[in-house]
Amino acid sequence: MRRTFSRALLIVVMGLSLGLAANTVSPRRIPLIRPPPKAPQPSEMLTLPEAKAIWESGAAFFLDARAPADYAAGHITGAFNLPAEEFDQHYPQVAPILTPDRLVVVYCDGQECELSHHLADKLRSMGFRNVRILHNGWTVWRTAGLATQTGDQK
Amino acid sequence: MKTAALLQDKILPLIFRLALGGVFIFAAVPKIIAPEKFAQAISNYRMLPNEWLNLLAITLPWVELLAGILLVVGAWVRASAWAVTGMCVMFLVAISSAVSRGLNIDCGCFGTVSGRRIGLASLAFDIALLGMAVWLSWCERDAGFCFWRQEPSSQELAPTSTREKPA
Repeated sequence: MRRTFSRALLIVVMGLSLGLAANTVSPRRIPLIRPPPKAPQPSEMLTLPEAKAIWESGAAFFLDARAPADYAAGHITGAFNLPAEEFDQHYPQVAPILTPDRLVVVYCDGQECELSHHLADKLRSMGFRNVRILHNGWTVWRTAGLATQTGDQK
Repeated sequence: MKTAALLQDKILPLIFRLALGGVFIFAAVPKIIAPEKFAQAISNYRMLPNEWLNLLAITLPWVELLAGILLVVGAWVRASAWAVTGMCVMFLVAISSAVSRGLNIDCGCFGTVSGRRIGLASLAFDIALLGMAVWLSWCERDAGFCFWRQEPSSQELAPTSTREKPA
């Protein structure tokens, strides 16, 4: 029993050491201490009336940062799906319609949802200069009775 | 050897070792390749302070990989099963907590390869893994119980004649 416990502990310690060693030499290494998340600037956020006005003017791309299943169950009419968690996989489908200078509005769902923030950060890092976030977008849009649709991305 | 005994002594432990070890290796590799994605997956659970996330994302997959490999090759089976049991309990707590809080997030169980959302299916999967790990954790308790034994039990070492005779 004692020997098994020691061995189990050794497995954990060896795993931890290997992980730390591998991270030191890996080209994809990440900092040991994660930097604090960047608080969004007020200018990055859109209010619902602002988003509604932009949507009605057709001046922006709307991007839904949630998973495809959530998007299919309901999304803002005309919004495209670019799941933040599967960005690399889905970006090629959306890339042809995006232009770096045009306004992009991203949203997800829920007060604590960070998918839209991750998607916005990713897009900005790729050179999209005009990205705004509609916080808790799906819920506020839907409860305001604004236009929604269902179905997969075409 | 009777069929039931053969199943219990040889076949089940082998299946459990390979299945559990295989799953843990399969789960560890994408997390090792993309630690930043795994850190984000852990972050989505909203259970740990931000500062700890990277450290866990860097180290946990290697513990998974090591325990998985040991299970598959059949070395230190019981100790590996203990480590896997600990991890499965940890995952169980995390998934249950996230499901009960109504979080709609990716499981992160296999990096981001599967794109699986957390829910009852991921809970059931984790419980199945936990069951196998607990079973293997006990596999050396009785002589001949485990396909691969690290050391014979004291009872097994005792001469047959003294075991059969009452004291």
